[in-house]
Amino acid sequence: MSVSKSCPWNRASTSLLPLLLMVGLLRPASANEVMDTLQVHGFLSQALVITDENNFFGPSSEDGGSLQFTEIGANASLRPHEDILLAAQVISRRAGGDRDDMEPKLDHGVIDYQAFSDSTTRFGTQIGRFKNPFGFYNQTRDIAFTRPSILLPQSIYFDRTRSLGLAADGVAIYGEKRLPIGTFRAQVGAGKPQVGDDVARTLSLDTQPGTLDGDMSYIGQLLYEHSDGQFIAALSAAQVNATFESSDPLWNGGQMRFQPWVLSLQYNEEYWSLTAEYALRRTSLNEFRIPQANGSVTGESWYLQYTRRFSRDWQWLLRYDVLITDRDDRSGRQFEETGAGPAHARFAKDLTLGLQWNVHPRVLLAAEYHYVEGTGWLSSQDNPDPNTEKYWNMLLFQASWRF
Amino acid sequence: MIARSHLRTSFTILVTVWLITLSRLTIASETDIVLVVHPSVQTQSVTRDTARAIFAMRQRTWPNGQAIHVVVLPNRHPIHERFTKEVLGVYPHQLQLSWDRLVFSGTGQAPDQVSTPSDMLEHIATTPGAVGYIERGYLDERVQVLPVE
Repeated sequence: MSVSKSCPWNRASTSLLPLLLMVGLLRPASANEVMDTLQVHGFLSQALVITDENNFFGPSSEDGGSLQFTEIGANASLRPHEDILLAAQVISRRAGGDRDDMEPKLDHGVIDYQAFSDSTTRFGTQIGRFKNPFGFYNQTRDIAFTRPSILLPQSIYFDRTRSLGLAADGVAIYGEKRLPIGTFRAQVGAGKPQVGDDVARTLSLDTQPGTLDGDMSYIGQLLYEHSDGQFIAALSAAQVNATFESSDPLWNGGQMRFQPWVLSLQYNEEYWSLTAEYALRRTSLNEFRIPQANGSVTGESWYLQYTRRFSRDWQWLLRYDVLITDRDDRSGRQFEETGAGPAHARFAKDLTLGLQWNVHPRVLLAAEYHYVEGTGWLSSQDNPDPNTEKYWNMLLFQASWRF
Repeated sequence: MIARSHLRTSFTILVTVWLITLSRLTIASETDIVLVVHPSVQTQSVTRDTARAIFAMRQRTWPNGQAIHVVVLPNRHPIHERFTKEVLGVYPHQLQLSWDRLVFSGTGQAPDQVSTPSDMLEHIATTPGAVGYIERGYLDERVQVLPVE
């Protein structure tokens, strides 16, 4: 894990090198032609988070709130051949935590080879660090301009174990078929996920010496889009595997398996959209020598979201978002009885009202209000004291710029 | 009897409204905006679905394998707005979101943006494989019209 953190470029480049050579042999396009296809884009977002109780992304309940939610990124892409796309993006992000979190990380770095294309069909492959297609928003979750709100619905796009879902180092295959009834898109990928400290913390493994290392994992998505984009439906599924490596033999070799499913639906009109996603998430720990450490939990998440454009540059949003950590203990009462923490830490019901203003094609200003019951998606990093408040309010402001 | 004549009046009004709406829709689809391509492009025509895929940046090559270079006017340009609605049947914000999702996930590129219709013509005329759009009145001999079926 420390390897992928400190030198992601090295790993990416060793796997990409043979392909780069192959690309060069395919058809030596003139350097000018190739450089004409170079594109560079980037973004910068800064938010202010204010809560009355509990903390989200830094000390948000203190004084003037928290400014510790910053996202900065830049990407470049190039087409050295008509069927090949090279693309990479680096993101520097802090959401609470330490200043060190701002260290830039390779978000994606791929060679995309389109193996076949005609007027209705295309398929190809991505090799390298590819973004996981999961639900409607995962692939571009860190880019404010692609989000309907400052925070994505936390029940599905939770930030406290975000590292798992971001990207994988491996191979993905994609295909697209346009039919009179609409377009079908499929993508499947296999690779090593990035497993950060956030996952170990959420699984309470951070109290033990050792780290979680990502093993071969799988992801797939099937998406249907009605021809004019009025109706979109998608089904995503993944199996993420990791092993706990520890100097303590009692903990060493334990396995983590995370299996989420998401059904996504969206209906679009010129001035409004209705979006819903439903997810089931099974997390299991096996093969730890301490029997109490093993077991499995299935969580449930869903949200319903209405967005309304009320002029060319303005949009408001209303959303109700529900997270249940354990379907067999929806109220969290059994959890509380074990003495592990308050019942309300096992769910979160978030009512969100948001506003976005595209001041300029490159500038987005947003504000939103959350009324939340439960602390299911709050991280222990932001709230080291488990005595959190069940009912809390959050106000966020964000300014974003892009090029 | 009175109720019946009311019914007849309402029916007449409904049919009239329907006819007016219908005729307006017909006018809307008869747009004066045409797709234009660099003369090197061999494709004779495209379907609306293909045009949509091209401008959503999801179709990277012409059927003969030549790379497609998509050229657009800014989102807020009135010709761009009319083009997306009248020719593609989508909205500018939908296209923008689809480009952003490609660009920021490493799955595609954004189109080339030019600021005026004459820049559009110039860019298409000098870029093999290029495709854009123009009002019929602006057409000149340097570019070819690509009919949308």
